[in-house]
Amino acid sequence: MTIELNFTINEKKITLKTEPNRRLLDILRQELNLTGTKEGCAIGECGACTVVMNGKAVNSCLVLAPQINGAEILTVEGLEKDQRLHFLQENFLKHGAVQCGFCTPGMLMSAYALLSKNPNPTEAEVKEAIAGNLCRCTGYKQIIDAILETEGDIK
Amino acid sequence: MKNFTYFQPENLKDAAKQLGNNWKDRLLIAGGTDLLGLMKHNLERPDVLINLKSIAGLEKIEYLPGKELRIGALTKITDIAEHPVIREKFTALAEAAGQVASPQLRNMGTIGGNICQRPRCWYYRGDFNCLRKGGDICFAVEGRNKFHCIIGGAPCFIVHPSDLAVALQALEAKLIIFSGKKSKSVAIKDFFVLPDADVYRENILKPNEIITEIHIPEPASGCQSGYLKFQEREVWDFATVSVGVSIKKNANFIETGLVVFGGVAPRPWIEQKISQALTGTILKENTISELTDICLQDAEPLEENKYKVVLAKNLLKNLLMRLNNI
Amino acid sequence: MSSRKIIKSKYFFEEDFVESLAEVPVEKTEAWASGAELKVVGKPTQRKDGYDKVSGSAQYTFDISLPKMAFAKTLRSPHPHARILNIDVSKAKKLPGVLEIITHQNTPKIPWYFGMSFLFDTTLRFEGDEVACVAAESEHIAEQALQLIRVEYEELPFTIEAGQAMSEAAPKIHDTNILRGRPDTYERGDIEKGFAEADVVLEETFTTQTAVHNTTEPHCSVVNWDGDRLTVWDSTQGIFSVRDGIADSLGIPASHVRVIKKYMGGGFGSKLAAGKYTVMAALLAKKIGRPVKIALDRKEMNLAVGNRPDSVQKLKIGAKKDGTLTAMVHESYGASGAYPSGAACSWPFRTIYQCPNLNTIDYSVYINAGPGRPMRAPGHVQGTFGMDSIIDDMAEKIGMDPLEFRLKNYAEIDQVGNAPYTSKRLHECYQQGAAAIGWYQKRRPAGSSPGKIKKGIGMASQIWWGGGGPPAYATLKLNRDGSATVIAGTQDLGTGTYTFIAQVAAEVLEIPLDNINVILGDTGVAPYGPSSGGSTTAPSISPAVRDAAEQMKTKLISGAAAILEVPERELSYRNAVISAITDSEKKLGISDVVRQMRERVLVTTGLRNANPEGYTINSFGAQFAEVEVDIDTGKIRLLKVVAAHDVGRILNPLTSDNQFHGGIIQGIGFALMEERIMDPMTGKTLTTNLHNYKVPTVMDTPTEIEVIIVSDSDPLISNTGVKGIGEPAHIPTAAAIANAVYNAIGVRMKSLPMTPDKILHALFG
Repeated sequence: MTIELNFTINEKKITLKTEPNRRLLDILRQELNLTGTKEGCAIGECGACTVVMNGKAVNSCLVLAPQINGAEILTVEGLEKDQRLHFLQENFLKHGAVQCGFCTPGMLMSAYALLSKNPNPTEAEVKEAIAGNLCRCTGYKQIIDAILETEGDIK
Repeated sequence: MKNFTYFQPENLKDAAKQLGNNWKDRLLIAGGTDLLGLMKHNLERPDVLINLKSIAGLEKIEYLPGKELRIGALTKITDIAEHPVIREKFTALAEAAGQVASPQLRNMGTIGGNICQRPRCWYYRGDFNCLRKGGDICFAVEGRNKFHCIIGGAPCFIVHPSDLAVALQALEAKLIIFSGKKSKSVAIKDFFVLPDADVYRENILKPNEIITEIHIPEPASGCQSGYLKFQEREVWDFATVSVGVSIKKNANFIETGLVVFGGVAPRPWIEQKISQALTGTILKENTISELTDICLQDAEPLEENKYKVVLAKNLLKNLLMRLNNI
Repeated sequence: MSSRKIIKSKYFFEEDFVESLAEVPVEKTEAWASGAELKVVGKPTQRKDGYDKVSGSAQYTFDISLPKMAFAKTLRSPHPHARILNIDVSKAKKLPGVLEIITHQNTPKIPWYFGMSFLFDTTLRFEGDEVACVAAESEHIAEQALQLIRVEYEELPFTIEAGQAMSEAAPKIHDTNILRGRPDTYERGDIEKGFAEADVVLEETFTTQTAVHNTTEPHCSVVNWDGDRLTVWDSTQGIFSVRDGIADSLGIPASHVRVIKKYMGGGFGSKLAAGKYTVMAALLAKKIGRPVKIALDRKEMNLAVGNRPDSVQKLKIGAKKDGTLTAMVHESYGASGAYPSGAACSWPFRTIYQCPNLNTIDYSVYINAGPGRPMRAPGHVQGTFGMDSIIDDMAEKIGMDPLEFRLKNYAEIDQVGNAPYTSKRLHECYQQGAAAIGWYQKRRPAGSSPGKIKKGIGMASQIWWGGGGPPAYATLKLNRDGSATVIAGTQDLGTGTYTFIAQVAAEVLEIPLDNINVILGDTGVAPYGPSSGGSTTAPSISPAVRDAAEQMKTKLISGAAAILEVPERELSYRNAVISAITDSEKKLGISDVVRQMRERVLVTTGLRNANPEGYTINSFGAQFAEVEVDIDTGKIRLLKVVAAHDVGRILNPLTSDNQFHGGIIQGIGFALMEERIMDPMTGKTLTTNLHNYKVPTVMDTPTEIEVIIVSDSDPLISNTGVKGIGEPAHIPTAAAIANAVYNAIGVRMKSLPMTPDKILHALFG
């Protein structure tokens, strides 16, 4: 069975045909070569595949292809504009919120979803927002600091 | 993940028709957060997936003051956790919703799916041909069972994993179930089944039945509810033990109370004795301790989960104290 | 070119002392002095690889995609111990999209596990042991094909618990279930005399669990043959070790294998050698004539690619009333898994506290479970937990403050090697750490914290090697515009190697960091660099980089001397400009020198110097934890962790902070929740996902982590004075937490992880 999907990724309209048993993660990584989104567990237990879909952070490993029809999706590749890193990304670098970097795209997207909804979060809200993203090598303090510094209108 | 046909019904009738009257490999998908994991590990191998999202009207929160709260089965858990009326009047539900899994999973997972999720038992989810999967034994009995049930277990010792189900039970919700042609209303206490009644399923849903709404009666004045969850990891874990309570107070007296435990049994466990004992008491620290001592007296813990009895009592105590501002 | 010689070099790498020949410079460049004013080194410096990682452009092995690439998946034993009677792949081969299937039937017998087994063995010794590997058009098809392979197994009796495996009656996994047939032993002094002198003798048994690395990026490789030459992209901590492993396995020259690793998502010791998966992928790729990607899933990672062995430690120590330790005995056993992997955990016990009479016996035991691999300080994490628990108990018994007790038994020299340390500033770690946590103000007698939420403070000590050593090389290429490239055969696990290499070169050559490109992780272009394990990368590589840069500087001065016609000794090098000391008009920028030299690119290769003779190199530290324990639920929460360490010079505080935080949080995971759990009846692992194998989330970490570095350099070691930090950061955390928990509740937790059920059981039975 093949289905046709229409959706937006990083402000670009996409139409493609695929099988319904593909996941959003597969579409991103395999069809669109957006490999910034990572896969760490395939069942929603690590958060490495987090993207923003319709304004909310979701695990792209648990979204079936047909479910993205009509959706607006933002991946880590969509944060940088006009060859300039987003403030959020710059603050991740400034605070040393990156080590191996494999969890970083997911962290960034969870943070972005939070800041889009709540531009001035408290530390508790930041922690809550990244509670679904496992980091195995850096720790979380630097990530929290980076997100807290990215205040104001993040768009 | 196996290939399947994806069906987008326009209405419930179409969906029910697709499901058919026999148990076969046709499944509903809502948020997909549990289903995709089950499919990944070949615990479910559907030939047909039926997407409930294509049916209009299943995602909604309607509050009818003085009457009830109606939540569409496809309502996202995040939306329930953040809804101001639910937070104020149906507190146990909002508190339970806020503690489900991770933010991402709450953004995707639905209330209907949460109630219908399959057990998290590591034997059931793992490479073991256990009773629930058609095998001959429950591996937990002689195996590693610290997260298994302490009551209502035999012959399969799962716990029901849903946070929301516990809160909904404490709030005496009703489930609106579409069964083929028409809808019926089922009290949530009659929805879940124990393994001795059906070892393969956790609820009474028939092959062609679909939960469409959850109705929660307006709490009478003086009612309060809450939900307390204990998980081994601080967040993003299933309840080791949880407790949902609703009480109706008249001045200092408890007029009625309902205590429901999660993580102790294969279904949300209504603690009758305590619920009855609550009636007429004045809650103070010492009376609460006496009360909680009688709970789960019939528990028969396995080798590694005796601590759940202590934990359940302490959680109940703490929740009752919190609800009474002690 | 500076003169060189070959020496016998010996240093500790992960589990053992490694002795090899190594080329070293005859003369060591003088170390930057303690307190030297450096411009770049030691300053917080953003990652060189930062852009790639936050923009999503960083390509990990997992992201590599080649034209016509096929995908491989592995069929693994469902049984802990079995013999393969028959494999039928016919049905699987017929599945459309399946390209090739390899098993023991159609592959050469490639020795594995130190010759104790083969790539495909017919006897399977753990759940997850490799049975077959399928290449297909997609991962999805390969997975489906696995289900169509029919294997007939003869199930064999198994044992999954080290204590039981040591007994006579236990099923034998190899000729004997004890690694090398005997324990590791060590002794000094007269143990009986030592106990006779003691006023107090304590005896206690401690246990620790099996932990699994669970890196975020899966173990994975992409392989591609060009004729008989193989390129391997691998998520690895050791490109050269992978190259040699693959070349040996396939029987091809090392020159035919190129291993590349640019970015990776964690290793922690689980990615130090060539994996079976890489060799299987190479065999499949050869057969089908296409590139192959193989990536393990989370379950495979929890079964088959390493773990930290568990331990049962029986400890006995004796002390005089004044606090002097008189005798110490450590007897332990731990599960290696099905193949050789050291489970010994007595190293810290032997050396960190002064004690003249001491015995240790460590048994490493085979069981039917996935083989162990080094995991962030092999032996030390579990050993420190047992040791520092009983040390605290002894301090309490004789009525001494635990910190005073440790200072009383402070070892000034290395008691095992009978040599002085190049540096040891542990007492400063104790002092500064204690001050930061408020040890003397906040700490109360054990169990005296009132209420239901009990607070406590505890600490533990750390010792590790991590001095690195030769051989290690770095090549520096200077372009005619004055920009530079450093090439080294090491790899950056995310620990900041790219960045500190650029810092060291920038420091010496005084050129902007941005003008330095660093190329790592490619055996095809780099001189040799050691595997990144044992906290040795920075201590081994940074001196080689400095050596290369110093040589370049000499070369440039020499060039300038020729151009300016001024003797070299009368030239000064400052801000990448070479000028005559006597005549400031006579000067040249380094790019001018290179331009005039017509070489376009100047090249130097630097070497790691020999370690000083007659000294022992160790890093030291002390960590302090403040916890609260909710006695209603058994939940332990971390309030604060202070990590005070003597690790020589810090090259980059920004990236070293990452290492410390990460190490501490892994320590919290080990202390509180991480555990491989196996089913006793079937011998199968239950914790094969990240829900059952719990690693800490942001909510499980303390609000405050304070890192204190008491050292500024260890000039005796090398020209950079660096000791490694990856392992030191992690070693004492769990032990410090355990002591804090005891201080809070007054009940000693003797078994890790300290999960709520254990706490409730300890408190209420």
